[in-house]
Amino acid sequence: MTRLIRILIWLGIAVLGALALGTIALHRGEQINAMWLVVAAFCAYALGYRFYSKFISAKVLALDAQRATPAERLEDGRDFVPTNKWVVFGHHFAAIAGPGPLVGPVLAAQFGYLPGTLYILAGAVFAGCVQDFVILLFSVRRDGKSLTEMAREEIGIVGGFVAYAAVICIIVILLGAGALIVVNALKSSPWGVFTIAMTMPIAVLMGLYLRRLRPGKVLEVSVLGFVLVMLAIWGGQWVSQTPAVAPWFTLTASTLAVVIIIYGFAASALPVWLLLAPRDYLSTFVKLGTIGLLALGIIVLRPTLHMPPLTRFIDGSGPIFAGKLFPFAFITIACGAISGFHSLISSGTTPKLIRCEPETRMVGYGAMMAESMVAIMATIAACVLQPGTYFAINSPAGVVGQAPEAAAATISGWGFPVTAAGMHALAQAVGEQTLFNRTGGAPAFAVGMAHIFSSSLGGQAVMAIWYHFAIMFEALFILTVLDAGTRVGRFMLQDALSHIWKPLGRTSWYPSILATSALIVAAWGSFLWQGVKDPLGGINSLWPLFGICNQLLATVALCVATTIIVKMGKARYSPVTLLPLTWLVAVTFTASWQKMFDPNPRIGFLAHARQLAASAPPGYETSRLIFNDRLDAAVTGALVCMVALILLESVLLWMSVLSGRMQARVKEAPFVPTRFAAEERG
Amino acid sequence: MRASRLEPKERSTAELCSAGQPRAAVPTWFVATTSLLQAILREIFDESAYSRFLSRHEMVSCRGSYAAFLREQENVKARRPKCC
Repeated sequence: MTRLIRILIWLGIAVLGALALGTIALHRGEQINAMWLVVAAFCAYALGYRFYSKFISAKVLALDAQRATPAERLEDGRDFVPTNKWVVFGHHFAAIAGPGPLVGPVLAAQFGYLPGTLYILAGAVFAGCVQDFVILLFSVRRDGKSLTEMAREEIGIVGGFVAYAAVICIIVILLGAGALIVVNALKSSPWGVFTIAMTMPIAVLMGLYLRRLRPGKVLEVSVLGFVLVMLAIWGGQWVSQTPAVAPWFTLTASTLAVVIIIYGFAASALPVWLLLAPRDYLSTFVKLGTIGLLALGIIVLRPTLHMPPLTRFIDGSGPIFAGKLFPFAFITIACGAISGFHSLISSGTTPKLIRCEPETRMVGYGAMMAESMVAIMATIAACVLQPGTYFAINSPAGVVGQAPEAAAATISGWGFPVTAAGMHALAQAVGEQTLFNRTGGAPAFAVGMAHIFSSSLGGQAVMAIWYHFAIMFEALFILTVLDAGTRVGRFMLQDALSHIWKPLGRTSWYPSILATSALIVAAWGSFLWQGVKDPLGGINSLWPLFGICNQLLATVALCVATTIIVKMGKARYSPVTLLPLTWLVAVTFTASWQKMFDPNPRIGFLAHARQLAASAPPGYETSRLIFNDRLDAAVTGALVCMVALILLESVLLWMSVLSGRMQARVKEAPFVPTRFAAEERG
Repeated sequence: MRASRLEPKERSTAELCSAGQPRAAVPTWFVATTSLLQAILREIFDESAYSRFLSRHEMVSCRGSYAAFLREQENVKARRPKCC
């Protein structure tokens, strides 16, 4: 009887999910409620978790509750600590949730809400969650080894090297793209600049409070920091409305870029406890709160989606970024469906906290489902806007024109009506001078979020506060990634340089710290500068480049996973990782090829360089733009070649194992029975 | 020393509830959920790591011990990437 009820419940969920997906996919010419997306997501995740992840646990990975994890065997109270599964889940989710799933889906909404939603759901259930889950389990079975170590041990030296190089590249490009999003969100916005500027003294104050007044009371100081940040948002309104003060905080994109570059360098060299750690706590606090608030807002307020399911831009002529639905929608969404970066977290801190093997399913697969839900919420935030407003905010001046009237006329001509007066009124409502050409995704997300909340919580009167709260949240988020990423890049570079000259690897030797920090900051700073100076808005070239890097890293992770599955003697189940791998290879290699060689100058880097050489007036500016295009093409080509190498090495290894020419031997830690099972029985 | 175990203060509350002590109007599930949420936040915000550090080194919380904890954490935290 109980079994029958269970079957009926799961059938009900399947039918409800199918109904929701059908509504999302088949409605044409009518607006639908955002709840259909939420229902479809919940049903897809529930079914994926209950059936697909259980199949992977039982058949592919054979999770063993009797096997001691490294957290138990190597327990040291510091790195290796057996931890409650819900605590690890929360910790892992807080670590993997970044700005990517908020920005990518907002940008991909230029194709309509349908492609993004379907890919976020299918990609997460069949690829992203699977990657995070299997990499976490394989790391657990290898004493918490990192992805690069597993690649080197299981595939070969090339695998290890490629993974290492891909990580450095992705960090550099991520930081450049992230910094550009912050610049575009804060340019000409005294309110936003003041709020974000204030987060720095607040973070320093938090650091000093923790160190001097109340040692270790992090939650307490985070609440205090949050209150101060809210006061800073309130103070920002006063700044923006005070003519004597506002000009101090009204910065151009170029000035902001220089400030952020200097900040990145300083943050990388300052002690961790003073700025990085407290800012990280503050950012995490705001992040978790905002995601929870947004989820609650969408469920309670059930907004209507104004964006059509598909737009005309699936043909590749999109104003936000050029390129057809395949492969660019998938490259753009990236982290919301599958993120290579997660494999670094799944093989970093998390495996050292796992108490028993079966819990990797909930932590690895489950946390990615939550991340994917954040991407669905971002899609909703973008699609509740009128399409004309969405395109006016996100389209670069180089495509729609600089003057508001010209931009409004161009966008209206695409069939998405918008007026300069309407946009001006919206800008006034959110406390900005203009919302035209605010590329990067963050302002559109902030307007969408403010739109959702202002429909009930405080009404139009507090729309500006909500908007700047969302901008602060995203900028704080990204600046934290910037701090941490610069430092991580610096350490990785120091590790690599130590092979050339030992003292360069010393993390406490200041000449080395300054030199390597400068190199990393110069690397992402050059991408940022390139984006700021790009007449097409920068996001057009940088975000796809970031997406390609991220998905190539996921390709490396899935290569490692497939290799281990084959070596485990479970080749018949290898499609679990092989199919997402094949998909990612198709997407990333096609996107890379098109970004390098497509004859359309809005898509191909080299075509754009040729167009500039032929038509732009010769001079320093033009030659720099041409150099940037060639550099982007070279970086993309180098990454693709490296990943092709690891793919080739992996395929050769699989063939050797499957043909019996090579004896497969996985490099797992030896089996040790767990004492927890006996303790729980006793 | 396991983080899976609730912190002493939280555990005493939970144990009181399960031992059938007078509980006023607070349901057990609420206490359990709050304790779990608190444990998650303490882990995310490194408060649990600091508690483990104190018990591992048999120290009490003060400026000096927190400074020592920060020194130990510095390398780990600085090498931990923030996800995109």
